[in-house]
Amino acid sequence: MASVTLENVSRMYGAITAVDNVNLKIKSGEFVTLLGPSGCGKTTTLRMVAGLEKNTGGRIAIGDNVVSDSDKGYFVPSERRRLGMVFQSYAIWPHMTVFDNVAYPLRIRRRPDTEVRDRVMNALRLVEMEQYAERPSPALSGGQQQRVAIARALVFEPEVLLLDEPLSNLDARLRTQMGDDFRALQQRLKITALYVTHDQAEAMALSDRVVVMHGGKILQVGAPEEIYRRPENRQVAAFFGTPNLLNATVKDCRPNGGQYFKLSVEGQGWSGDCHAATEMPKGADVTVMVRPENLHVRDAGQVNGDLSWSGEVSQAIFRGSHRSIMVKTPAQTLHVEASSLSNVDIGRPVTVAAPVEAAWAVRN
Amino acid sequence: MTIIHNRPLDDIAETAPTIAGNAFTRAFSGGSLWRLIGMLVLILILGFLTIYPLAMLLYGSLHSTPPGMAGEFNLNGYRSIMTTQNLIVLANTIGISLAKTIPSLTIAVFLAWIVARTDTPFRGTLEVLITLPFFIPPILTAMAWGMLANPQVGVINMVWRWLTGGTDPLVNIYSYGGVIWHMCQYSIPFLFLFMVDAFRAMDPSLEESSRMCGASRWTTFRKITLLLMLPVLTSSFMLSFIKGIETFESALFFGLPAGIKVITTDIYESINHRATPDYQYATSLSFAIMGLMFLLVIWQWWMLRGKSFQTVTGKGFRPSVMELGPWRWVTFAFCVLFFFITVVLPIGQLMLGSFFRFFGFYTYDMLTLEHYRAVFANSEFWRAVRNTMVLGLLGATATMALGAVVAYISVRTRWRGRNLIDSMAWLPWMMPGMVLGVGFLWAFAMLPGPIPIYGTIWALLLAYIALGTPVSVRVMTGAYHQLSYDLEECSRVHGATWAQTMWRIMVALAWPAFAVGWVLTFFGIMRELSASILLYSVGSETLAVVLMKLWANGNAEQVSVIGLMMMLLVIVFRWVQLSFIKARISKL
Repeated sequence: MASVTLENVSRMYGAITAVDNVNLKIKSGEFVTLLGPSGCGKTTTLRMVAGLEKNTGGRIAIGDNVVSDSDKGYFVPSERRRLGMVFQSYAIWPHMTVFDNVAYPLRIRRRPDTEVRDRVMNALRLVEMEQYAERPSPALSGGQQQRVAIARALVFEPEVLLLDEPLSNLDARLRTQMGDDFRALQQRLKITALYVTHDQAEAMALSDRVVVMHGGKILQVGAPEEIYRRPENRQVAAFFGTPNLLNATVKDCRPNGGQYFKLSVEGQGWSGDCHAATEMPKGADVTVMVRPENLHVRDAGQVNGDLSWSGEVSQAIFRGSHRSIMVKTPAQTLHVEASSLSNVDIGRPVTVAAPVEAAWAVRN
Repeated sequence: MTIIHNRPLDDIAETAPTIAGNAFTRAFSGGSLWRLIGMLVLILILGFLTIYPLAMLLYGSLHSTPPGMAGEFNLNGYRSIMTTQNLIVLANTIGISLAKTIPSLTIAVFLAWIVARTDTPFRGTLEVLITLPFFIPPILTAMAWGMLANPQVGVINMVWRWLTGGTDPLVNIYSYGGVIWHMCQYSIPFLFLFMVDAFRAMDPSLEESSRMCGASRWTTFRKITLLLMLPVLTSSFMLSFIKGIETFESALFFGLPAGIKVITTDIYESINHRATPDYQYATSLSFAIMGLMFLLVIWQWWMLRGKSFQTVTGKGFRPSVMELGPWRWVTFAFCVLFFFITVVLPIGQLMLGSFFRFFGFYTYDMLTLEHYRAVFANSEFWRAVRNTMVLGLLGATATMALGAVVAYISVRTRWRGRNLIDSMAWLPWMMPGMVLGVGFLWAFAMLPGPIPIYGTIWALLLAYIALGTPVSVRVMTGAYHQLSYDLEECSRVHGATWAQTMWRIMVALAWPAFAVGWVLTFFGIMRELSASILLYSVGSETLAVVLMKLWANGNAEQVSVIGLMMMLLVIVFRWVQLSFIKARISKL
């Protein structure tokens, strides 16, 4: 397995920049996900690594080998990059059996028949599809097709495995299961994987690192928890779930002893403490992000936390696993995810509180 | 395992290959020089097949003498076609085409509805039977109907006289009605084939939601089903109308004897039936009809602009089937009746004709096999069989190969010039066979001496390829559109080169469409008469031409024998196509 390096990689379509100066280093055996809304350039980035698109700027290396360098006009076509790829549509060739589909990368490279047989059956065993080897491939369900596509991508032991939204065509239940299975497989085989998705939950559950992209640029790279809890800016913060984003002014800023800074902030009708990545001057405008699941609803006046807001319940929706409560405060309406057992009456005055670790400030 | 083409980061020498073109084509093709040469060859081939005869048509229409003779340039040709007589010819052409399109469309819609949307028994078989007439060469049914509905000795009129005791014939095929009737037999299955999938693939939820909104079955049919079908119906109408203007056989067999002239027969007559062939007149008329066709095609585009044919979404809808109760046997009977009239009656007549000494005298002592002996002993017949087979096999293969390449380039690549070759391949679409024939007549005559194409079998082959190319491109375009790019890209990522991907993925997946198109083209060549009759010469006759000559000599009995042979061939081919190719497709 090899690493992947992207240096200042860009892709222009006429005057439109689809990918803008992307720098990324994927370590050997690492699972990296490109995450972003549609049109953010994530698929284009993946296709440039695959050699299906040519980068108009920068260079790409797989392992120690440069595969594309636009300045020098050097370009290695897809078939010589030794990659495996799983397509969104799976691209299972309908005129071949499951076995023939998986054997394709080996047969193209003229491997002896015995080796082909062994390796195909091994690959099929990895994805638990060995009993379907002789099936005509159109007779497969979506989940089975996806397994075959993975087996085909792995059979040649590629340098890097590329995956383009491979789970998006499956139903929700199967998606979670296939995702977990695939993550386990990836860790067992130590595959370098570059994965593209627009689904945040999928990205967080599968990846070692997540790359959040927007408008062709990388917004932030980091471990899932890091990105979720400590976004670098408002855009990344807003991308995951439906966080409460509050405008506030910095009153005081001091080191926390660790790698963060502790801020005292004041908003419209509320004040309290929160964390931030960088030092902020007094009087700076910031956005404080608090996730709905980290907020608690208490009886009015009962303050139990580092941040608190007073308001009244305007809406409560039972969602099965939890209850969504809307609390109207002088600053704005806060969204709280409470236990589904909690019962709140609409119109009741309450206090909403959050611990200091749950509040994260980014500069506006 | 290191790959020699991958190099260390800092060792990219200036020897690194530079490849021109945009990213997609660079990733998906070999070198650009070969591509350039390939495109040039393709443009030359298509240019010779389409632009060259078209240009020669214009040249010929302005040239005062027959092809290959010295002459001067003038506008006499165009002057001579501006006559009141030709206004009647034009009115006839358009009127007959309209008169056959409207009833054909109505019946075809009805048949498509029966087969696709009702629970009529044996729908699968009925579909095969209803479409069979489309594959029978029109010249055969024309001759059969000439015998069936001949006012004096036609079987139908003989039976009628025997039943009623009268002396007046019931039907006379040599009339406007006869011409239209014969054209309808081809339009109906053609339109049926064109529309039935649209009926079948319609999303039933569109109709169901109308029912849920409180509309009755009939209202739903009028307001939803029919309106959703409107784009398909409009394009069917236009297509059938244009085809009607191009038709030659019906007007030749039933129109000319009754003095009813249309444009195609007028061109034919001015070359073949006048004391001195008037080439300038024929060529001018050809060029004029092409102008008319061009306007019609433009009009068709304008009518259909922005309209989507996609009530079909590619999902496997199970259309809601209407339960007809006892009426299903009525619809069944209607389909069977259609098959009986368009296939069984003509075949029966050919059989009858082939076994009796004289056409029209059907008594026991007239039974004979002498016509079979005569035909099988006729070397001209065997030569025509050989010619037709060679032309069919070579022509269909070459046409489909050309179509497959043109369609691939225009659908799957971004190569420069792909629009040019696509338009060039489409040009013959607006040239009726007769017009293309005249164009090639000039084109071959104007070739430099050492290239003796004129008068050989190759002249016919080139004309057939030109005539078949628009259809073959459409068939292959459709096939490629259904294959997602992923299938191709996936193969590339997993190590296959462009050529390997072509062979193992694209060819392997597109060949059923290729085979279907091949059979269609083969049928097309077997039935072709209008261009053949202008371009054949002694030694390069096709079966259709031999039939035509025998018929002109009044030899209806031998015509019947040859007709039966061709009919047999059609049925065998159709059977092979349906059972073999369909089985392969459904396996996919």
